[in-house]
Amino acid sequence: MKEFKPLPDQPAPNDTIGPIPWIKENLFSSPANSIATLAIFAFFATVIPPLIDWLFISANWSGTTQAACTNENGACWVFVIAWSKQFFYGSYPVEEIWRINLCLIGLIAIIIASFKLPKDLRNKIAIPLFLMLPFISILILSGSWIGLEYVSTDYWGGFSLNVLLAAASIIVAFPLSFLWALGRRSDMPFVKSVSIILIEFFRGVPVLALFFMGSVMLPLFFPEGTNVDKLLRVWIVLTLFMSGYMAEVFRGGFQAVPKGQYEAADSLGLGFWQKTLLIILPQVIKISMPNILATFVMLFKNTTFLLIIGIFEMLSTTQTALTNSNWLGGHSTEGYLFVAVVFWICCFSMSMISSSIERKLDTSHRN
Amino acid sequence: MSEKPQVKSSPSFFNNPRNRSLIYQLLLLVGLAYFFYGIVSNTLANMEARGIKSGYDFLFTTAGFDILMSLIPYDATHTYGQTFVVGLLNTILVSTIGIILSTIVGFIMGVAHFSHNLLIRKIAVAYIETFRNIPLLLQIFFWYFAVLAALPSARQSMSIGEAIFLNVRGLYFPGLIAESGAGIVYGAITAAIAGIFFLRRWAKKRQNDTGQQFPVFTASLGILFGLPLIALLVSGIPFVWDFPELKGFNFRGGVTVIPELMALALALTVYTGAFIAEAVRAGIQAVPHGQTEAARSIGLKESKIMKLIVVPQAMRVIVPLLNSEYQSLVKNSTLATAIGYPDLFTVFVGTTLNQTGQAIEIVFMTMAVYFVINMSISFVMNRFNASVELAERN
Repeated sequence: MKEFKPLPDQPAPNDTIGPIPWIKENLFSSPANSIATLAIFAFFATVIPPLIDWLFISANWSGTTQAACTNENGACWVFVIAWSKQFFYGSYPVEEIWRINLCLIGLIAIIIASFKLPKDLRNKIAIPLFLMLPFISILILSGSWIGLEYVSTDYWGGFSLNVLLAAASIIVAFPLSFLWALGRRSDMPFVKSVSIILIEFFRGVPVLALFFMGSVMLPLFFPEGTNVDKLLRVWIVLTLFMSGYMAEVFRGGFQAVPKGQYEAADSLGLGFWQKTLLIILPQVIKISMPNILATFVMLFKNTTFLLIIGIFEMLSTTQTALTNSNWLGGHSTEGYLFVAVVFWICCFSMSMISSSIERKLDTSHRN
Repeated sequence: MSEKPQVKSSPSFFNNPRNRSLIYQLLLLVGLAYFFYGIVSNTLANMEARGIKSGYDFLFTTAGFDILMSLIPYDATHTYGQTFVVGLLNTILVSTIGIILSTIVGFIMGVAHFSHNLLIRKIAVAYIETFRNIPLLLQIFFWYFAVLAALPSARQSMSIGEAIFLNVRGLYFPGLIAESGAGIVYGAITAAIAGIFFLRRWAKKRQNDTGQQFPVFTASLGILFGLPLIALLVSGIPFVWDFPELKGFNFRGGVTVIPELMALALALTVYTGAFIAEAVRAGIQAVPHGQTEAARSIGLKESKIMKLIVVPQAMRVIVPLLNSEYQSLVKNSTLATAIGYPDLFTVFVGTTLNQTGQAIEIVFMTMAVYFVINMSISFVMNRFNASVELAERN
């Protein structure tokens, strides 16, 4: 009996492989496309060389004062370098900056720990650490209660403030928004309506109005003579704002957990909190992770709004630097570009992580 | 016959879910009541101590400050109530400009993501990823302090045909001044819009009944431009151009767009446009590829596939996302206060609050306005959503 032998594969036709057909396919597939390609190339050719020249070749890199920016045709990066400490740490005393670094390292360490620790330790160690972190950071940064030199919140600032404030807000917002989302799903009509009002209020009002509420109305709410720190009020406002958005994210997560999970937990005889915390919550967090990250990116970008109520986060430090009498040379482009790059790197990497989680969770078989 | 064993079927009082939920809600109610009682009594005590009178009487007292830009006649002799209206109109103006432009930019960039040209695809991706990830306030500052502040002075304005001027003080273009008889033209425009509306309904009904198509688009264009043109000629062209002219150090006449408005509108457009582009991309990607293939196999042209098959299905995903993007655009327009564009926030929560000290009333009114604007957007978009939704058989 003759054995079946398939013929060897034919090579792909010559006009479909290699660089030239690729270029033809992607850049010159039709007359209109060819014109577009040429126009874009022409545009790049006129814009990019001067841009690179301004950014790098003619740019001024060394020096400490404005006088060092001798080349008029290049960017004055000296401005950014000279102010970099303020951009990152605000006007925090220089010899105490290790405290800010300690807090940032603590934050990073806990994030890594929550991924790397063995499963049985993770919940017992990482979650309490996370919840304690904002309060420990406040103790370390302000310093008066633990025997360090007291640093008033007026001196906190810079990019580290953006990071720490955003982190502290999302950490406290986690349990709060979870409660609100639970309340919104609850069968108890009063609890449900209170939750809906809270969520919709903090989602519907511009965050700037909330900040103003925090700075002009909140002092009226407290008993006379209480002086609540400005940064603390901002933290409260940011936390509530974040909770409103995250509660909606969690609600979506709750809806995505199959009903069978609730029923299975009920049939095992678990109580409400056991069922919610041990069975449902882990699945909800897993499902909502991409959206939580997206919300966090929004919160992180919104921390720049604090400039308007006079808190020295990174952007307002930049504004101060730009109006400094020693640096009145019109360095706004350099300053904004630097801040933009810093924020862009953070936000872009977070959205990359978010979409990679989304891809991992996506089990649909579209395309 | 033995007696049935007596089983107590009802659980103990606290284990009964109904009692329990009642107790929880009562606890919440008491907690909230205590909380609000505390706030209200503290507020009243504080206001008394600071000598603030509550109430809305301040709306009728003279404001005494000027506003950079106003769509209605306003000067310092008008009341605080009118500052509210001026600010509200400015907010609506910048929001409308932002929504229209960002939708255009967003749709172009979202569709460009599926271009056959690699460079256009990459530019769309670069645009989305760059501007989505940079804080909006920074973008506003960039346009205002870095780009628009670098424009030439009034004497060296850039100009197009000596009619449109762009300089550091703003954008100037010719305005139309209506003379008597302009009412006929306005009437003609209204009639044209109404006519198009009914024409579309009639054409759709005819197509459903008989299958015959009617060139709606060309006919609509004809009506839209033809009718006002006839009205113009009949009424003897009751408009004159008002050209901006350089007088002294500044331009007079015409329509002026102040740089604050330009910077804010640009930043809102570019920022929200990136989010809308992402929504459009997600919407188009959600349409199964089989739809495009099926459309090709029945012989539709590529341009018609997008318009008739893909986009209508993608709209189901896009419209709810657009709704939230529009709402956040309106909320983000409050950042006007950072560069001094006189929107509701700058004028009312900024200057008026500073002058009157009526914090609670003013913050309450402002929040109510943003709620109402956002609810109207939501209402319109939900109606629109209902019209693009999948009509499922019951």
